Amino acid sequence: MKQIKRLFRMHRIFVVQELKRMTEYKGDFIVGVVGFLLAQVANLLFLWIIFTQVPDLMGWSMNEVVFIYGFSLIPKGLDHLLFDNLWNIGFFIVRKGDFDKYLTRPVDTLFHVMVEKLQIDAFGELLTGIALVCVTLPQLAISWSVLKVALALLVIPFCTLIYTGIKTITAAIAFWVKRSGNIIYMFYMVHDFAKYPVTIYNNAVRFVITYIIPFAFTAYFPAVYILRDENPLFCIGLTVLISAAVMALGIFVWHRGISAYESAGS
Amino acid sequence: MRRKLKIYLPFIGAGMQETATYRVNWIFYILGSVTGCFVSYFIWKAVFASGGGGAMNGFTMPQMTVYIFLMFVTSMIVGSDASYVVGEEVRDGTIAMRLLKPVSYNATFLFQELGNKLLTEAVLLVPLLIVLEIVRTALTGSVQFNPLCLLLYLLSCVLGYLINFFFSICFGFVAFIIKYLWGANMMKNVIVGFLSGATVPLAFLPPALEKVFLMLPFASLGYTPVMIYMNMYGGAELLYFLGLQVFWAAAFWGLSKLLWRVCVRRLSVQGG
Repeated sequence: MKQIKRLFRMHRIFVVQELKRMTEYKGDFIVGVVGFLLAQVANLLFLWIIFTQVPDLMGWSMNEVVFIYGFSLIPKGLDHLLFDNLWNIGFFIVRKGDFDKYLTRPVDTLFHVMVEKLQIDAFGELLTGIALVCVTLPQLAISWSVLKVALALLVIPFCTLIYTGIKTITAAIAFWVKRSGNIIYMFYMVHDFAKYPVTIYNNAVRFVITYIIPFAFTAYFPAVYILRDENPLFCIGLTVLISAAVMALGIFVWHRGISAYESAGS
Repeated sequence: MRRKLKIYLPFIGAGMQETATYRVNWIFYILGSVTGCFVSYFIWKAVFASGGGGAMNGFTMPQMTVYIFLMFVTSMIVGSDASYVVGEEVRDGTIAMRLLKPVSYNATFLFQELGNKLLTEAVLLVPLLIVLEIVRTALTGSVQFNPLCLLLYLLSCVLGYLINFFFSICFGFVAFIIKYLWGANMMKNVIVGFLSGATVPLAFLPPALEKVFLMLPFASLGYTPVMIYMNMYGGAELLYFLGLQVFWAAAFWGLSKLLWRVCVRRLSVQGG
């Protein structure tokens, strides 16, 4: 318990430090947030143009599609906000030999890397996501219950950890090959499939995003439970299980990587 | 001319070596980027299925498939890292090293990037185009390949690349104002992506908007070459769009020269 309290206290100190740094570069902050916001706006225009052509997308109404899209942005944004530093592990930190500093500190390396940076750009995604969910929810006929509200909120951190876990596994590859940024990118981009109803894909894609690189659990399955009351045991239960498994694998690979890590020369 | 070639050819060689060094990373990057194409492919497939399977705004599903993947190939041919590289050099001061040498600033970048491109295009794009042509033949049930269209497409791509290159150089000078290049570039890429037809074919936009977008320089970075390859433009239209590309290439070339002159005077490199 004392241990956990200590971690939380450290997290707070790191965040405060980050916020101080950010006030130095206010312009950057706006550029980043607006950049990610625009990316979402472009995708929404795409969806809007599609729905001027057809009334529904294989049985999915525009509101449903936008809801799933918006829901997908929330865990994506949370991971982006809190754990963005993993990209730097893959692209720069290990290759330049800067990883040594984490090894000398009396705290778990993965924890340290994760809490060190706060990526404010993510608000571009988070705010769009929350706005889209709020706008579409009243227009959808959803049967609400206390349980459903609780599950919908509870599942979000687990969805987030699927992103974080996949990033951790692929970032850790850098401990062996020095640079894994583009490997993170390759796996991370699969999330693009998860923003839309999975039923529009063929079986191969569906299988991959459900069981191999399980991004379908970051948005579609939780959303389909909320929208259409589909099997909560599968949609929510499996999300929690898969999320825990992916993150556990991430922690395992990370620590195996650390023991294989040799600092860059010079 | 010979003397110029002698000066700039080594930059092509350097660019090729650079690409060869990072080839594995580059392949992962391509694989990550192509995901988006498959997502749009499936979305359009669902759209055409929901819409009854007929043509939409002049596109059939096989044409849309070709459009999506050809757009990806085209954006790679036309793509330029110039804005990022220029921005980085302005920020960290290495631009001073280029200023010391008696060669044209823009030209060194251009030739270095051409070296990059010659290698990547030969390794990847030729096979990709062949695969695309086979798929197109299979989807439509007849050979659609047109060598004249291919030639005009390549010409249009070269013009598109020049526009993009000089535009990116201009944009790189943003580094004098904004320090967060990654964010600024992301913003640029999203906007250019939309205006060039990479997000959605311009023919699907409201007609007034389509007209405006077609005149802007960004249609040249994707939509124009792709439409030419797909034989969607007739004689007069074709000449008009190629002419427009020449105009924009010249315009951005001039603008980059002008901005360069203004910015160099403002440049202050710290330390070093």
